[in-house]
Amino acid sequence: MSVFEVINNILKIVGDAVAGLITSLLGAGALSEIVVMFIAAFVICGFCAVAFMAMTYAERKIVARIQDRIGPNQAGPYGVLQPLADGVKMFTKEDTTPATADRWVYNLAPLVIAVFALLTYAVIPFAPSVVGANLNIGVLYVIAVGSGSTIAIMMAGWGSNNKYSLLGAFRTVAQLVGYEVPMLLNVLPVVMLSGSMSLVDIVERQTLANGAHGIPFILMLPLSALIFLISGIAETGRSPFDLLEAESEIVAGFHVEYSGMKFALFFLGEYVNALAVSIMFAVLFLGGYAGPVLPPYIWLLLKAAAVFTVLMWLRGTLPRVRVDQLMSFNWKFLVPMSIVNVILVMVLAKVFVADPALAAANGGIAVSPGMQALILFVSNGVVLLSALGIVARHARQMRLVEAEDLEKRRAQNMLVAAKAVAQ
Amino acid sequence: MILTIQQILFIVIALVVLISAVLVVTTRNLFHAALFLVVSFFGVAGFYVLLDAGFFAAVQVMIYIGAISILFIFAVMLTRDVITSARGNSQWIAAAVVAAAIFIIAAILLGPAALIIRGREFGNVQWSDPNGPAATSATVIGDLGRGLVSFNQYAVPFLLGAVLLLVAMVGAIWVARERRSRDMAAERAAAAADDIGSDTDQPVQEELPLPDNSMATEKH
Repeated sequence: MSVFEVINNILKIVGDAVAGLITSLLGAGALSEIVVMFIAAFVICGFCAVAFMAMTYAERKIVARIQDRIGPNQAGPYGVLQPLADGVKMFTKEDTTPATADRWVYNLAPLVIAVFALLTYAVIPFAPSVVGANLNIGVLYVIAVGSGSTIAIMMAGWGSNNKYSLLGAFRTVAQLVGYEVPMLLNVLPVVMLSGSMSLVDIVERQTLANGAHGIPFILMLPLSALIFLISGIAETGRSPFDLLEAESEIVAGFHVEYSGMKFALFFLGEYVNALAVSIMFAVLFLGGYAGPVLPPYIWLLLKAAAVFTVLMWLRGTLPRVRVDQLMSFNWKFLVPMSIVNVILVMVLAKVFVADPALAAANGGIAVSPGMQALILFVSNGVVLLSALGIVARHARQMRLVEAEDLEKRRAQNMLVAAKAVAQ
Repeated sequence: MILTIQQILFIVIALVVLISAVLVVTTRNLFHAALFLVVSFFGVAGFYVLLDAGFFAAVQVMIYIGAISILFIFAVMLTRDVITSARGNSQWIAAAVVAAAIFIIAAILLGPAALIIRGREFGNVQWSDPNGPAATSATVIGDLGRGLVSFNQYAVPFLLGAVLLLVAMVGAIWVARERRSRDMAAERAAAAADDIGSDTDQPVQEELPLPDNSMATEKH
């Protein structure tokens, strides 16, 4: 085994060694399997905690640069120890509970949000054969687990017995439930093209090995990727969709009453969810761990970091949207466009088949994978441009109607004034 | 008797489901009741996992917890006096009898024991064919998908369910529709025009409001 192979498979080698050690200590059987699984889960949770610290530091530094500030620079060189300092501060803060809070619900909410955020990582493939559980319904699992954080936010908002918390919880329902729809609708084309809901299979379809074409889905489905990213930002409640905790309107929304480690758990949940969306985008549209030269896990982290940089960039530059804009944008723009896109991809993938054997069996025109990707790319672009055109046209018409209306009212008011003078 | 891990898990999940289901109907606090309902739904999803039906577990979580429970909780949060609300009615005896009757009938009809009433056999359902090929999770999902779209299986009920949901959605939108201020202004103007036409002694109609934005007024 060459050095490169060892480096590429280091996660698997270490994992197998630990599993072998446990099995030799406890004997083969259910007990050692459970212990190995607990260790794996612990490692993934540890990865999330470390990633959380790195992300808070990176976000504060990069958003500061975007907004022409310096950001944290006191703790350690370039402020790299800032997350540790924050952690110590969180630990030493007083843990308060409002007197009128619903104790059980209030105290459980941060735990629930952290647990649901971490559950997503059970199915994420970090490298070939380094995956918690290769479920054949991986995509569905991620979406299903994502709905748990909605419940946690509602528990926090209601349990705090605070009107701002409750307002934040109300906004959560409208936003998180609403944006789940375009998110699902844009995962669907990826599932249709890769023919599987397993995240491992979806990545394998985008690698060059095993007869797959090696075209990442972002080149085949750019519109789906865009809408997935937008609804992913909305699902994690990050700026510009941070209505559920809008500091300037409802103080901090659902977590206004939380302090100390409970607040830290909410913070962790938010960042772990943001990382999960970045990794899911990398897995679904950028080819996950597939890539040349570098080891697979590095590729996955690089791609996820790139997506997270886009999220930070948006957070640093865009103002918050209004509630009605949020709803109209979702239900009147993203959802119809997604439905048209799904139907179009469905038809085109049946007509222009990349696999010659499948084309011969089911009918359809056999084309090369590159040609199929080009056709899908163009159709996606056409859908996006025509949707934008319709919206622009509608906006112009609305402006004209408003101007006409205004003119009418002025004329009528002048008439009324003339009547009054005559009387 | 030594229990396997599956059996232990089954007992634990069954206890969670049953206890939280009882708490749903006994707790006075509506919000807590909704949360216990969520726990109960989670337990059912756990049963699906134990039965090796991951697809149904995910769908259970997505629909029953991600959609239905959240709507319940939302409705409860909009309810006044959640904690102090007294029981709305005193029909719990009748409700308990009906629930027990439905449970017994379902247990007989769906259970493995054969029950013969007047020569007709009820129950004795064979849920799986022990001699047939072992169904893996993937083949089950494939069969399910084909069953829902092929016309000699369940396409018609599936489409009927979809149409029902669509009708419900259209109805909800119609009930909750927002009446546009422009339409209301037009209605008011029409009513005012009628008044002027019928009776010239009517006082001057009130001024229609112009938008506050005086810049816009200047432009046009």
